[in-house]
Amino acid sequence: MNEKTRFMLALITPAALVLILFQVVPILTGADASFRNWTLHDPKRTWVGFANYLHVLRDAEFRDIVLPNTFGFMIATVACSLVLGLAIALMLNNRFPGRWLVQSFVLLPLMVAPVIAAIMIRWMFNDQFGVVNAALEGLGLAPISWLTQRWTTFAVILLTDVWLWTPWFALILLAGLQSLPPEPFEAARIDAASAWRTFRYITLPMLRPVMVVCIVIRAIDAFRTFDIVWTISGGGPARATELFSIYAYVEAFQFLNLARGSAAAVIGAIVIVVFALLLYRVLNRFVEVSK
Amino acid sequence: MTDIAAAPARSVGFFFALAPRGKAVFFALAATAVCLLFAFPVFWLILTSLRTGTGVYYVHRGTEFTTDNFHEVLSQEIVLRALFNSFMISTLATVLSLGVTATSGYMLSRFKGPIPNAWFSLIYIFRCVPYVAWVLPLYFVTQKLHIFDSYWGLLLPHIAVHICFFSWIMKGFFDGIDPSMEYAAMIDGCSRWGAFWRVAMPAAVPGLTALAILCWLYTWNEFLFALILTAHETPILTVVMAQFVHELGMEWHLMSATAVIALVPALIVTLFGQRYVIRGLRI
Amino acid sequence: MPELKRFIRLCVATAVGLAVSAGLVCTQAQAQERELKVGYMKNPIQDASLDMMDKWAKAHGVKLTRVPMAYSVFMEKVTATLTSGTDQFDVIWHNDDWGQLWKKWLEATDDVKGMENADRWPLLAFWNDDKKLTVVPMAHTVGTFFYRTDLLKPEEVPTTFEQLISVSQRLQKEGKVKWGYVGGMTMNNTWFSLWWTMWANNCDILKPLFERDNDKLTAAKFEPAVSEPCHREIVEFWWDAINTHKISPPGMTAYGRNEANAIFMAGEAAFTLVDSTHFGEFNDPKRSKIVGKVGMAPFPVGPRAQKPTSWNEVWGWAIPKGVPAERKQLAKEMLSAMMGDEAGQIEMWKKTGGPPPNLKLWPKLAAEDKDFAALKHAVFDQTPITHSAYYFAEWPAVHKAYSDMAIAALSGKREDIPKVLAEHADKIRRAATGN
Repeated sequence: MNEKTRFMLALITPAALVLILFQVVPILTGADASFRNWTLHDPKRTWVGFANYLHVLRDAEFRDIVLPNTFGFMIATVACSLVLGLAIALMLNNRFPGRWLVQSFVLLPLMVAPVIAAIMIRWMFNDQFGVVNAALEGLGLAPISWLTQRWTTFAVILLTDVWLWTPWFALILLAGLQSLPPEPFEAARIDAASAWRTFRYITLPMLRPVMVVCIVIRAIDAFRTFDIVWTISGGGPARATELFSIYAYVEAFQFLNLARGSAAAVIGAIVIVVFALLLYRVLNRFVEVSK
Repeated sequence: MTDIAAAPARSVGFFFALAPRGKAVFFALAATAVCLLFAFPVFWLILTSLRTGTGVYYVHRGTEFTTDNFHEVLSQEIVLRALFNSFMISTLATVLSLGVTATSGYMLSRFKGPIPNAWFSLIYIFRCVPYVAWVLPLYFVTQKLHIFDSYWGLLLPHIAVHICFFSWIMKGFFDGIDPSMEYAAMIDGCSRWGAFWRVAMPAAVPGLTALAILCWLYTWNEFLFALILTAHETPILTVVMAQFVHELGMEWHLMSATAVIALVPALIVTLFGQRYVIRGLRI
Repeated sequence: MPELKRFIRLCVATAVGLAVSAGLVCTQAQAQERELKVGYMKNPIQDASLDMMDKWAKAHGVKLTRVPMAYSVFMEKVTATLTSGTDQFDVIWHNDDWGQLWKKWLEATDDVKGMENADRWPLLAFWNDDKKLTVVPMAHTVGTFFYRTDLLKPEEVPTTFEQLISVSQRLQKEGKVKWGYVGGMTMNNTWFSLWWTMWANNCDILKPLFERDNDKLTAAKFEPAVSEPCHREIVEFWWDAINTHKISPPGMTAYGRNEANAIFMAGEAAFTLVDSTHFGEFNDPKRSKIVGKVGMAPFPVGPRAQKPTSWNEVWGWAIPKGVPAERKQLAKEMLSAMMGDEAGQIEMWKKTGGPPPNLKLWPKLAAEDKDFAALKHAVFDQTPITHSAYYFAEWPAVHKAYSDMAIAALSGKREDIPKVLAEHADKIRRAATGN
C-alpha cells in the first residue's frame, strides 16, 4: 500500500467506521431478517429464502397502488419544489428592499420539525375546525372535506411536502446562482438577449451541476417519505395515498412482521438505487445537450 | 444581515430582467405572496400556542389569548431537559458530522480510482435504503453497545445519516477550489495532510459554515431516530413535543407552545447563519 | 489562515466542552438504590396508577422510575425489548390488543395479591399457554356512549339507531348543535363508529359470530361475516348518517378519536362514543367547553338486537420474564399494593375517569358517586355480546383490512356498498390466515 492509498483510506476512516457500525450493520441485519421467518413477537429466525419477497411482489396492492403512488408523489413533489425553489432563488438573487425579510420568511419551514408541521396541517385541513375551510366559507365557497377523498388528500400531502422542501431547493440554488461568474450575463445583456433566453441558455446550463445533485438527492428522499404522510393521512382514505414506506412500516410494525416489512423496504431500496442512477445519467445528458 | 445588502448583487436573475422598473409592482406582489405562503403555517402555530386549551379546537373563533401555555410548558422539567439535550445533540452532531465528512468529501474530490468509486457507491447505495428497514436493527445495535438512550447512541446514527449527503456536497466545495495551491504547498515540502489542513480547509470554511447550519437545523428537527433511540434519560424536544398530541388524548395548546419555543433557537441559528449559508453552499 | 485556526479551535473547544458536560449529566443520572423501571404511555390514568405505586415505593425505599413512551412506538419498542431479553423495564403497560403476542415473554401474575378482586371477563386476552394470567389490571377501558345533559333529559336519550338519527336531526334543526354524532373512524378508531354499531346490531367481523376461541375460529377458516346483511346494514347506517341524514360531519371517515373529541369538547356535537377514559378530559375546564354537561347512557340498539350491548376490557401492568428474580418479587409486591390501595383507586376514578380494577369497590363507589353510577348503568350493567377485539397474532392485519374495507365502502356510492364488502371479504380472510 503506497503513501497515497494510505492517505485516501485515512481520510475516509472515521466516516467509514461510523457508517459501517450505524448504517451498514443495521441495514444488513434488516436485509438478513427479510430472508427469515421473523415476526417481532416471535422471532423464529428460520431461513425462508425469497418467500417474503415473493409475497410482496405478488401483492396486487403493492404493484398497482403503492408503487404508482410512490412514483407519482416523488415526481410531483420534486418537480413542484424545484420549480418554486428556482423561482424564489431567482427572485432573491436580485437586490431589492426587504430582500432580507423575504429570505427569512422563505426559510421558516426549515425551522419547523416536519412531524409538527404535519400535525398542524392535518388540523388546518380538518373539515370542521380547520382554518382552510373557515377561510373558504368566509369567501362564500363550499367547505371541502379534504382528507376523505383520494386526490384532495394527495393535494394536502403534496402541499405540505412542497412547503417543507422548497426552501431547501431555494437555498441551495441561490448559493449556486451567487457563485456563477458574471461575464456571460453581461455579454447577454450587451447582446440584448431576452430574459427568457438568458435564463434558458445561460442560467439554466450553468446551474446544472447544482440542480442535478439537488434533484437526485431529493428524489431519493421523496421516494422514502414517511412521517408526513403517516401523520396526515396514514395512507388513507383506505389505501388511496399509501406510499411504499408506509406499506413497509405497516407490515413491519403494525402487523409485526419484520421480515416482510424489511423485504418490502429492500425492494424499494433497489428500485430507487436504479432509478436515481438512471435519473442522474439522464439529467446530466439532457442538460448537456441543451447547453 | 447588512452583509447581504452590501454584497454586490449581480443582476443575473430572470425576474430582474422581466421587471427592470415597470413591473416592480408584480415583483412586490410575488414577494409578498411568497412570504405569506411560507409564513402562514408558522403564524398559525404561534396563534395556536397563544390560545387557551378550550380555544384551540377552533383557533379562528374567539379572541381570548393567553401566555399560560408557555408558563405551563416551561415549568415542566422534562421540557427544559429536552431543550438542553436537543441543543447539545444538534451542536455535537454538527461539529462531528462536519469533521468526518470534510475529509471524506476531500478524498472524493481530489482522487480518482477504485477506492473513491467504491466509497461513493457505498454511501450512495446505503443512503437509498428507507429507515423502516433499519431503525429496529439500529435500536439493537445501540443496545448491544450500551449506548441506547445516551448522547452517543443518538449522535453516532445521526452522523452516519449525514455522511452521504454531506460528503457529496463537500466534494462540490473542494471541486470548486483550485487544487494547484495544494500541489504548490506539497512541492514546498508540505505533507498531504498539511496541504489538506493548511490549504484546502481554509478555503472551504464558508461551505463548512453553510452545511453546519443545515445540519444543525436538521438534527434539531429530527424525530424518528429520537423517538426510537432515546427514552427517559435523554429526552429530545421533538419527541416531547409530539407526545402532547397522541392517539389517546391531546394537549394541542401545549404542543404548539413547545413548538414555538423550539422555533426560537432555530430562528436565531438561521438568521445569523443565513449569509454564510448562501455564500457557502456551492456544489 | 488565522480564520481557519480560530474556527477549528472554536469547534474543538465546543466539542470537548459539550462532551464533558454530557458525561457529567450521564454519571449524575446513575442511580445506586433499589430501583424499579416502569415503561408506560403518558396518560392521566396511567400516571394516577403509577402514583399509587409510588406511594408504596417511597414507603419501602424503592426508587420508581417512569419511562414514558409514545403510543405510536410503544408496542413495537417493548416487543423488541421483550424478545431480545434485555431487562430495560421491570414493569410495563399491558393492553388486551397485545395480550396474546406477549404471553410467552411475561411473568405469571396469579400470585399477585388482589387479583382475586379483579373482573375475570376482561382478562381473557391475557392467559398464557400454561393457563396462567400475565397481567395485573390497572383500569377498565370501556366504550361509553356520551350525550350532552344540557340538551337532553335522560329519558330523551336515544335508545335505538332510529332515535339516534331523529333526535340528532331535531337538535340540529333547533340549532342547538351543528352535528348529532361524531366518532373516530380511521384505523385504530374503528370502535368509535363502525364497531359499536356492529355489535349493537348483533353482528361481528368473523364467523361464527361472537366467537373468540382461536381454535374454533381456525376450524371455521376465519370466514368473514362482513358481507352478511347484519353487517351491510351498519355500513349503510354510517353512509346514511354522513350523506343522507347528515347527522355526522362529511369528513368523519378521516377522523381519529382526537378530531372527534375536539368537536365534541368544543360543544359542536350532541353524541359521541369513546373510551370512558376520556371522561376526565371532557370534564377538564382547561380543555373542554362542556364541563359538567356530559352524561353517559347505554349504547343505542340496532334493528337486529333487543337489548344494549357493551364492551369491557382492561389496561394493565405486566412484568417481563427477563427481569431478575429479586426485582420480579419487588414488582409483584408493588402491584399487590396498587391492587390493595382502595383510596388510591377511588382517587384515580375521581381524577381521571378510570374505573378501579378492584371490583369490590364498585358498589360503594356507585352509591356515593353519581358519575360512577351513570357509567355502571351505561356499561357495566349491560352484558357484553363479545370482546372488542380478537386475540390472535394476525389481528392487527385483520383490523387494517377491515378498516380499509369500511372506509372504501363509505367513500363510494351507496349502491356499491354490497359489492365493496364482498370484494374485501377475501382480503380479510387472507389477512387472518397470514397470506
